[in-house]
Amino acid sequence: MKRPVVITGLGAVTPLGENVADSWDALIAGKNAEGPLELFDTTGCRCHRAATASLPSLPGMSPKALSRLSRVSRLAIPAAREALTMARLLDPMDKSLLPILPLSVSTTAGGMAFGEAFLRDILAHKRSRLLGPVARYLPQQQILDMQEALGFEGPSVIIANACASGANAIGHAAEMVSSGMADCVLTGGFEALTELVFVGFDCLQATSIDRCRPFDLKRSGLLLGEGAAFMVLETPEHAQRRGVQPLCRLSGYGHSTDYFHLTQPQPAGQALVAVMHQATASANIQPQDIGYINAHGTATPINDGAEAQAYRTFLGESLDRVRISSTKAAIGHTLGAAGSIEGLFSIQALLTGKLPPQLNLQTPIPEIASVLVPENGCSREMNHTMSVNLGFGGSNAALLFSRYEN
Amino acid sequence: MKTNLAVIGQGAVTPAGVGLAALLHGNPTETMTPLVSRSDRSWPVFRVNLKDPAFERWQKEPRLRRASPISFFLVEAAEQALAGLDASQRAETGLVIAFSTGCLAYSRRFFEAIATQGQKAASPALFPETVFNSPLSHVAATLRLEGAAYALVGDETAWIAALKTAWLWLEQERVKQVLVLGAEEFDSASLDAYQNAGWLRDCNPESTFIPSEGAAGLLVRKAGSDDHAIISQMDDGFIYRSKSQALAAGRRCLQQFDSNLPCFKSAQHNWLGDIERTLAQKHISSSTSTEQIYLGEGSTASAAWNTLRALASFDGDNIRLLVPIWGMTHQIGALEMGHPSSDKKLQV
Repeated sequence: MKRPVVITGLGAVTPLGENVADSWDALIAGKNAEGPLELFDTTGCRCHRAATASLPSLPGMSPKALSRLSRVSRLAIPAAREALTMARLLDPMDKSLLPILPLSVSTTAGGMAFGEAFLRDILAHKRSRLLGPVARYLPQQQILDMQEALGFEGPSVIIANACASGANAIGHAAEMVSSGMADCVLTGGFEALTELVFVGFDCLQATSIDRCRPFDLKRSGLLLGEGAAFMVLETPEHAQRRGVQPLCRLSGYGHSTDYFHLTQPQPAGQALVAVMHQATASANIQPQDIGYINAHGTATPINDGAEAQAYRTFLGESLDRVRISSTKAAIGHTLGAAGSIEGLFSIQALLTGKLPPQLNLQTPIPEIASVLVPENGCSREMNHTMSVNLGFGGSNAALLFSRYEN
Repeated sequence: MKTNLAVIGQGAVTPAGVGLAALLHGNPTETMTPLVSRSDRSWPVFRVNLKDPAFERWQKEPRLRRASPISFFLVEAAEQALAGLDASQRAETGLVIAFSTGCLAYSRRFFEAIATQGQKAASPALFPETVFNSPLSHVAATLRLEGAAYALVGDETAWIAALKTAWLWLEQERVKQVLVLGAEEFDSASLDAYQNAGWLRDCNPESTFIPSEGAAGLLVRKAGSDDHAIISQMDDGFIYRSKSQALAAGRRCLQQFDSNLPCFKSAQHNWLGDIERTLAQKHISSSTSTEQIYLGEGSTASAAWNTLRALASFDGDNIRLLVPIWGMTHQIGALEMGHPSSDKKLQV
């Protein structure tokens, strides 16, 4: 990367907690957020469970303003606010100190629940009071909600590369900073559980009616989840001007497209191998330098097999030096937010030395059985961690995080 | 933001036909389409003719077997823009597609089945095609584009975000060239949305807004000394929630550009038309012809059509042009484009 990129703020709302600390502590303690899905009726579905997040309060917002926010905005705003607070970019009124703050974000469904409500209404031949839902379902409306709530404007990019979007949004933000297009970017992803998406995965039989068991021989599908995570990316000089100590560096990013199939990765995970090599090459490190990989690990039979093959190819003889886990067993697959939340967990692992356990393992798949983080967790000193994601359409992305040394 | 993007290929699919000639000179035909909520109320809509012979070459593509119309629009516009690029060059080509509503027709069909027949009626064949980046994947796979690929979402200004992404990738040397596309497909559910927003004629007697669909794209690379059409500045991020805020946002946006630039008008049929007239009058010394044939409102597709039309409008007198991109639901942005003539070299 041409200019170094550091991370100075983190924020999250996940099914395990309403902020980074609560989410991380619960994750490391081996908790999982799976439970009955009560946001909408699932009577006709195979699966009736998901990882649902609690909506944090939004102090200072009127009941009327709150009622206009989509569920996904209510996840995104507190996560973005936490990240800006940590980066010391908010004034005492919780408004951004930077009036122009570029955004690079991701989602797959935006405020889809509003779109669903609108469709139900027009199918039922309702004729009035329909503008509210339809006007607020598009993803740019969540951007406006965040910009209004936190008091900034500026260019925004919304990446919708399916389940790799979150990693793409962060990687894109890093490239904006690295290239000089921006000095500071707020980046992250958000996703709320919606009926259209839940039923979609259910009808593909991609959701599990058993526990979510990433990298297990008996894995049978994914657990859907929701949440949001944000990070502040900037140049070290920009952070130093505020007296802010960087948490770590974003040192590498790789992304690529796999043509094999619209919904399945190429069985050897070739595109994933390529993006991991891109990320390490841009950071000028070797695969064996990575201490932990937060895997995509959806627990679908096809994804996890290809992914495990990719790790064997990428790491080769140094496979045993890395540790791997998928946190989707704990928080579910948060789709457009997955790359951001899992990237944030990879940073937490780098900063704390604690590794998120691989939950729900009974019979680990042999390709990477020896390197999966045990259920009681483990700790290690690391200089680099990686987060990888794959998505529908063949999107593959890898983010590399490294210790910051002044 | 100053850039130096050379346009080296163009493609278009419009309700007036397929190709640049149709974009510049074709006349679309109105189709009366009823609301979903009221079958007794219909409005004119411009639709792409999918029976156009240009689409025949894509009918047997395995990737497009179940694809929705937007993928066909995209792959045709993309192939036009890529004409002349061999396989090795395509392998070094990035792809960015801007969408506003994306695969709306299949999304509506998928959810309508759930809403009217229950969740057991959900179609596993339709669901993957509802995802925003499915058309992106189809274009990349069908045309063997092996570089970086992003699907971007937003209002009309997502087109600017896509061009800025292309510039970023070229600056980072991720790819040699980037294919940037905007595309939308029409569904009658959007007609209900426009009616509720007051954008259709009976809600607003001044309006001549006609919903539309299609795609267009530019193949771009970093400009060299021999390149002609160049995008030299792009700015966006001027957000608004109300009409008064939109006027202020438009003013701030256009202030980023040389006030002597002629302005390419494109919002005269939608609710931002007043603002465009006001700002063009107050801030821009002259305007180019607005006598373009109206192709309807196709969000990111319209943004791309307008950019291609602006490129085609360069003549001996106009070698630089301001092209505002009027986002109808979020923000306002603009492009500055130039075309070096033999006697006046463009400064980039």
